[in-house]
Amino acid sequence: MDVELLSPAGSFEAMQAAINAGANAIYFGVEQLNMRSRSSGGFIIDDIAEISVRCHAAGLRCYITLNTVMYEYDMQLLQGILKAVKEHGVDAVIASDFAVIESCTRMGIPLHISTQANVSNLESVQFYARFADTIVLARELTLKQIASICSEIKRRKIVGPSGEIVKIEVFIHGALCMAISGKCYLSLHSQNASANRGACVQNCRRPYKVVDTESGNELLVDNEYIMSPQDLCTIPILDEILQSGVAVLKIEGRSKGADYVHTVTTCYREAITAIEQGRFTPGLIADWMQRLSTVYNRGFWEGYYLGREIGQWTKTPGSIATEKKIYAGKGTKYYPKIQVGEFIIEKGSLQEGDVLLLTGNAFGMEKILFDQVLVNGEKQIKALKGDKITFPFAHKISATDKLYKLLPATDA
Amino acid sequence: MPKIIQYRDKCIGCGICFELQPELWRMSRKDGKAVLLKAAAKKLTHVLQVTAQQYEEARAVSEACPVRVIKLG
Repeated sequence: MDVELLSPAGSFEAMQAAINAGANAIYFGVEQLNMRSRSSGGFIIDDIAEISVRCHAAGLRCYITLNTVMYEYDMQLLQGILKAVKEHGVDAVIASDFAVIESCTRMGIPLHISTQANVSNLESVQFYARFADTIVLARELTLKQIASICSEIKRRKIVGPSGEIVKIEVFIHGALCMAISGKCYLSLHSQNASANRGACVQNCRRPYKVVDTESGNELLVDNEYIMSPQDLCTIPILDEILQSGVAVLKIEGRSKGADYVHTVTTCYREAITAIEQGRFTPGLIADWMQRLSTVYNRGFWEGYYLGREIGQWTKTPGSIATEKKIYAGKGTKYYPKIQVGEFIIEKGSLQEGDVLLLTGNAFGMEKILFDQVLVNGEKQIKALKGDKITFPFAHKISATDKLYKLLPATDA
Repeated sequence: MPKIIQYRDKCIGCGICFELQPELWRMSRKDGKAVLLKAAAKKLTHVLQVTAQQYEEARAVSEACPVRVIKLG
């Protein structure tokens, strides 16, 4: 089986986490022309070189998202980004606007058609195959529809510009949109923040009441979060997804942290391997589900793949992750000879037995057990705000690396 | 003296400031972000002294900015 696991990278930490966790490829956005321009801290054009070098050195492909609505005044920035994409060998551009598609075609840059294009049928696949070798299908299709599209592509031998059979990509994990993805104007209407310029304020995630404007009567709704779908999680049906003939499995979440990317990528990597080796068991699925539930999630369902007519809605405004990370401090020094890292506590306290979560540009995400509290080289019971702690750590740390304490969500 | 402040690095180039108050704003063809015309730039913060009337008109602009990078001072 030759399926590609594609992970989100909203930061260098998340990118490294994806690399460490066994992703085959990552996708990222730069500047403001991507669907996470509001929420993810943001790479800039100058970061493209480092992203490309680091991914390729690790044997991963990297794709850049350029999938917002494009205005006339965006064209020069677009050209600047594409020039850097070409120069640094980014493997493909993920696009939906024809200005991007046209420019990439002219410049000989490989294209993926974004889910923003809502490709939902074979005719559309055939159309976009003139420009792109990979097409991300709309997230609202059923597995039957996906399988039918995949088998027809092979039967009709629909090839992309490279001459290879067109690849189909689907989302396997992460947040879902209450609308057909990319066709929502709620955020734009309420706060002038266009989801299609990456500025979605996610009003759908709030509770609402339905009011009859004539009588003023409020409609009672069992679950107030009537517009907030639970998150997609396909681990229990991953074998069926692979059987449908898709070639790329995409994890949503460029606004999520390195710990999220690491956990989700690891679980799906293990699941793909288990399926390949014929040991995809309910016990393993239960274990992956448990691990996936430790990081950000709004509760899981399997999306529209099984043909549900209506979505499953959340019951809370935010995450129901079973673990929480509490910020504790940042990196200060590294002693390479003895492989010891020094961090300063900026918030709260740490004690023996705490599980520490570290995120950093160079190493992604690491979890360690804090089994010996060393403050300024001396053993203590607790490390408090202002204390500098040291512990063995295999990777070089820097001042931008962050230290968190990991707690069960109920204790936080 | 009333002033308008733009924190330019977080601008996502939606163009609403230019739509609402075109005499003070342009969309840059260089980087696709909004330019506060004739503003004094200190690193990524751009500041422009405006008249009382422009200041009043800018309230709507500040409120309309989806990423809240336009402030009145």
